[in-house]
Amino acid sequence: MSLQIIFFTSPTCSWCPYLEGVLRNIIGNTKELSLEVIDVTENVEKAEEYHIVAIPTIILPNNQRIIGSVDEAFLRKQMDQFLIMMS
Amino acid sequence: MIISTGIEELDNMIDGGLRTGSCYAIKGSAGSGKTVLSLFMALGALKKDIPVLFISTEVDPEKLIMYGDSFDMNLKSYIDKGLLSFEKMSLKPKSTSLVQTDKFDLSGIIARTQSKMKSLNAKLVIFDSISAFFAEFVYEKTARSSFMDFIREITDKKAVLVLTSESQVNEEYSTLEEYLVDGVIKIRTELKNNQMIKRISVPKLRSAKPIKFENRFIIDRDGVSILRSEQPPLSIIDAEKIGVEKLDKMLGGGIPAGSVVLIETDGETNYFPLFLQIMCCNLERGTGVIIHSNVHMYSARIVEEFKRVECDITPHLNEGNVVFIDKYNRSVTAVEAREMSQLMTTDDMISVTVELMQAFQKSEQKVILFGDLTDDTNILTEPNFLRYFALQSFNIKEQSAIAYSFINFNAISREMLARLRNTADIIIRFSRSDYTTYIECLKSSLGATFLPKVVKFRDKMPLIEILD
Ligand SMILES: Nc1ncnc2c1ncn2[C@@H]1O[C@H](COP(=O)(O)OP(=O)(O)O)[C@@H](O)[C@H]1O
Ligand SMILES: [Mg+2]
Repeated sequence: MSLQIIFFTSPTCSWCPYLEGVLRNIIGNTKELSLEVIDVTENVEKAEEYHIVAIPTIILPNNQRIIGSVDEAFLRKQMDQFLIMMS
Repeated sequence: MIISTGIEELDNMIDGGLRTGSCYAIKGSAGSGKTVLSLFMALGALKKDIPVLFISTEVDPEKLIMYGDSFDMNLKSYIDKGLLSFEKMSLKPKSTSLVQTDKFDLSGIIARTQSKMKSLNAKLVIFDSISAFFAEFVYEKTARSSFMDFIREITDKKAVLVLTSESQVNEEYSTLEEYLVDGVIKIRTELKNNQMIKRISVPKLRSAKPIKFENRFIIDRDGVSILRSEQPPLSIIDAEKIGVEKLDKMLGGGIPAGSVVLIETDGETNYFPLFLQIMCCNLERGTGVIIHSNVHMYSARIVEEFKRVECDITPHLNEGNVVFIDKYNRSVTAVEAREMSQLMTTDDMISVTVELMQAFQKSEQKVILFGDLTDDTNILTEPNFLRYFALQSFNIKEQSAIAYSFINFNAISREMLARLRNTADIIIRFSRSDYTTYIECLKSSLGATFLPKVVKFRDKMPLIEILD
């Protein structure tokens, strides 16, 4: 079992490709975390379900949300807490 | 397509109704009625089978349905019919925590709104309120500028977008949204005679000339209503009549009890006709009058004037329907009056006031006409006169009476006029230009002011006629 990170994007979001790259980088090498990328214009139901307002929104397993683009160092620190928790 | 707001008077104010492809903002302070008004707008469209999407940022849908029920809207029935949808949109859903940066846009709510609009086929989208929405953002400026995309995308869809926005008390500049929207409907509240009065205006309208003047806006159990300044509905007020039919109508049915009415005239315009007309009307209605006489307006003169216009008031005089409080019961010259009045002390002024109170107590008469106050203002010192006027006004309100005070605005200082106007509830002004007399209402406790209208004086009752 792995913890899921949900990443909401949209075609108009200019920071999203960078952020998605960073996320894939961090999560790609771990078994403990998995990433689901959702484009709100293609999957509005999910956007509804998670009450998405701003893009990008990252939903972490502890229900914390990151709204707006952040840098890699910040994301790694966030992910580390889950990796420690899982091990 | 034009969508009616369901409130006829509001439709008139915004050039017929809400235009598709346009965005409107309802602005007002907290509790002014933005949510209530937007719910009524939704209802107006729903009643015509126009689908509505209502986006709420602070209040949960169940609460809004209940809010609607308090006005018998039965919004649930429209939801069941698939005509209405409430969507809660807020940045921070319950039991989540947020980290925010300034690198984001609002494509999330744009996508959600567009999808809902499509499934409902919504032609009216209401967003209540943008202020509560923006307040959730740490980087409010980014949110506001990104919200421009929301406005552009949604109004592009051949639908109407209505935003509500909380105005701050000391707002001196227009907010960004105000530039972008096609119309601004403004609700203002003010405290008057211990009552909250709401006023509505349209300071901005792209499709037509904006209605800058304010109309009365009323929220009660039966819903919202707007009293148009030019011609408010007659049924609203059970008021005392002035006796000039058209004037009563334009003032919203008459004068509410407890009002101080200031009638301003220039030196040339004769206010006698209006004085006699008010007196005559009240006598005929059996209300009776108290005349507070003055240099130009003493008992003998009034009786004489009535004779001149062939109106017999002797029966009323015999029955005691008219109470004269005469300061000088004969014609005095201005010099004589000045001499007499200079002897008048503050004590005398109080005794005149006491006399009036006694007259109130003795009789049913609750209408008082103050003869020309101009001389008093010139004779008494300014502070004394103002104290006298304030005292009388207080008295009038206490007794739920109505006072008509006549004054020549050219003969008193600007400052004095401003003070009197402040105290008065209703201001009617006569003025002359090119041999034509005009009447206008500058102030009204009911919001029923009107612009100058031509007046014709006649020899017989009715002595005054207001032309269109
Ligand atoms: N059922 C009702 N009957 C009469 N007046 C009501 C009712 N519900 C609300 N109001 C009036 O509406 C006002 C609140 O309006 P609202 O639209 O909620 O304000 P806001 O501008 O903050 O959205 C209150 O001041 C109250 O006077
Ligand atoms: Mg509200």
